[in-house]
Amino acid sequence: MNRRQFIMTSLGAGLGLSLGITLYPVLTASQSSQQTAAEMVFDAFLPALLMGALPADHQLAQQQLLATRKAAIEFLPFLPVTQQQQLAQLFLLLEQELTRLALSGNWLSLAELPVQQRLSLLSGWRDSYLALLQQAYCGLRELLFGAYYGQPPHWAALNYQAVEFNRYG
Amino acid sequence: MDDPIRQGLARGWKHIDAATLNKDQQYEADIVIVGTGAGGGLAAEILTQAGFSVIMLEHGALNSSSDFKQQERWAYPHLYQDGAGRKTKDQGIAILQGRTVGGSTTVNWTTSIRTPKNTLDYWREQFGLDFSAENSLEPFFDLASGRLNISEWRMSPNLNNLALQRGCEKLGWQYSIIHRNVNGCANLGLCGLGCPINAKQSMLVTTIPTALDGGATLISRVSARHFAWQDDKVQALHAVPVDEHYQPRSGVNIQIKARHYIAAGGAINTPALLLRSKVPNPSGRLGKHTYLHPSLISGALFAEPINGHAGAPQSVYSDQFVWPESDNMGFKLEVPPVHPVLMATKLIGMAEQHAHLMKQFNNLQVMIALLRDGFAEQAQGGTVELDSHGEPQLDYPLTDYLFAGAREALLAMAELQFAAGAKAVMPIHADGQLYKSWPEAKAAISALPMAIYRTTLASAHVMGGSNMAADASKGVVDMQGRHHQLKNLSVFDGSTLPTSLGANPQLTIYGLVWRNSTLLANWLHGNQ
Repeated sequence: MNRRQFIMTSLGAGLGLSLGITLYPVLTASQSSQQTAAEMVFDAFLPALLMGALPADHQLAQQQLLATRKAAIEFLPFLPVTQQQQLAQLFLLLEQELTRLALSGNWLSLAELPVQQRLSLLSGWRDSYLALLQQAYCGLRELLFGAYYGQPPHWAALNYQAVEFNRYG
Repeated sequence: MDDPIRQGLARGWKHIDAATLNKDQQYEADIVIVGTGAGGGLAAEILTQAGFSVIMLEHGALNSSSDFKQQERWAYPHLYQDGAGRKTKDQGIAILQGRTVGGSTTVNWTTSIRTPKNTLDYWREQFGLDFSAENSLEPFFDLASGRLNISEWRMSPNLNNLALQRGCEKLGWQYSIIHRNVNGCANLGLCGLGCPINAKQSMLVTTIPTALDGGATLISRVSARHFAWQDDKVQALHAVPVDEHYQPRSGVNIQIKARHYIAAGGAINTPALLLRSKVPNPSGRLGKHTYLHPSLISGALFAEPINGHAGAPQSVYSDQFVWPESDNMGFKLEVPPVHPVLMATKLIGMAEQHAHLMKQFNNLQVMIALLRDGFAEQAQGGTVELDSHGEPQLDYPLTDYLFAGAREALLAMAELQFAAGAKAVMPIHADGQLYKSWPEAKAAISALPMAIYRTTLASAHVMGGSNMAADASKGVVDMQGRHHQLKNLSVFDGSTLPTSLGANPQLTIYGLVWRNSTLLANWLHGNQ
């Protein structure tokens, strides 16, 4: 078993236990630590998912990443409570696994984890035999792409403009 | 621009925003209606005009054309169920349903199609529902068409729809021009985000204002929790306010007493309300046989801009494959509007592959195939269950039979898109690629692994779960939408449909509810 397979398996087992049997970490984790976990997961995957979509200018790209993370966090409370709890559980587990992955790869922090490796992780979930990992891939992808492409400053490459009758915000 | 909602409120409409309540409330009326979509909104007008005092309840907020923002990031959280994030229990199918005053009629794409004859024939054979002769729905379709200005769309289809039409012409496939419920439509393409000019003749701007002008009361941002009942009668409806994210909140209880109760919250929420209420269910069908028209998606790249976000979202459909001679699952061909979030969340791939496709956004033509579930033994739909919070989850198993139909649908859409002039076609499937010719696409789609999470499935039509049947052993309500066991309870929404339709459901619901509201009014007058 290589390192990726090991991570996939342990993550799958963790998710299986969490979604099927117990919500212990969600019930014990504070609201702020749940949000921190979500933010960390979003920060880890957004640069990978949005490769090719983010502007070349580093500062602008950072602004767009922060705006997308904020939009994703703000959207979560509209989901059904059960789904929110499942996602919170997922984020807590992913936060732990991503940190472990970064440390075991001799990176000092998650921020140093190469983007390609983050993409490989996502591809691994997509192609996993575990339904829960496939769900995690589909759910994260949908949430984060929705949060990014929901924002007019990110439409420049699309050449799309919304007709505006009532101003947003 | 005139805003009939704000004008009505200024005239003194009785509107209560339950989210602002801070102490228990009790109300009484002749009739209480849970839900303000195609069923509840229409029933409110007819019953108010028949002289009854009516209270309407809506989980969503009272938004009007002055509130609608023409951006998906506002519309989805504020106008759609679960922020447009509703899914089946295993997350295999995404479900779009409205949650705002006017329900799905406020955000639908205006397609208005009468119930297909084949569907009505099936209902007669299997459920004893004979909608012919004096029970015909045709007069009610005529009434609804007059009331909601439903007529054939006379403007040119947008290029997204035109591709569907051209492909059909090239291949000799059947197609029809869609009838739409609009008045003064400016062809903006914003139907799914709430019509900013009140051209769409949704319940929000037609029947609900009439009901409110007639003295009805609207309570918005309220979640109906359960009916209290005894013997064969409902005694009260219990509800709670929702918070700013539309989550039910505790601390304030709302009780409503009425002579008659109407559940019209849609085909997931109505069965959930009845399940929470533990109403009698001798047929065992409550919450069962919920249908979705599970829909496949196919994208195509054209050399010229398609601009699928502009213009009437749906104006052409094809019924070439809805009623196949074989036992295979039939499907209807339509197109969706192409807005950034809708597209980005459905397009295949990630990183550069995804970004590359999004950069060709305006050249994307998108087609959908709606599988007709509920007819074959192997396509008996899903089951609404309650989670630990009492909220609904739809368990919808994806069968081999359904996936066989899905593959045929992807093949048909690819063939059609190439016939219409596409440079490349991609089935929306995790293993799909851009294919440059019909033979290449045909070979690839024929070999795709059809499985949950790999095959993208979506739904905008939820039907069944409280089905009507002449015999109480085969359904939850009778042919008039009256509950078989509880005499003062009716169900007036898509949950009463015994199968899916093979057509977009709004006009079927209008026809049935017009008929059943009229019959109910007569019955209530006769029983005073």
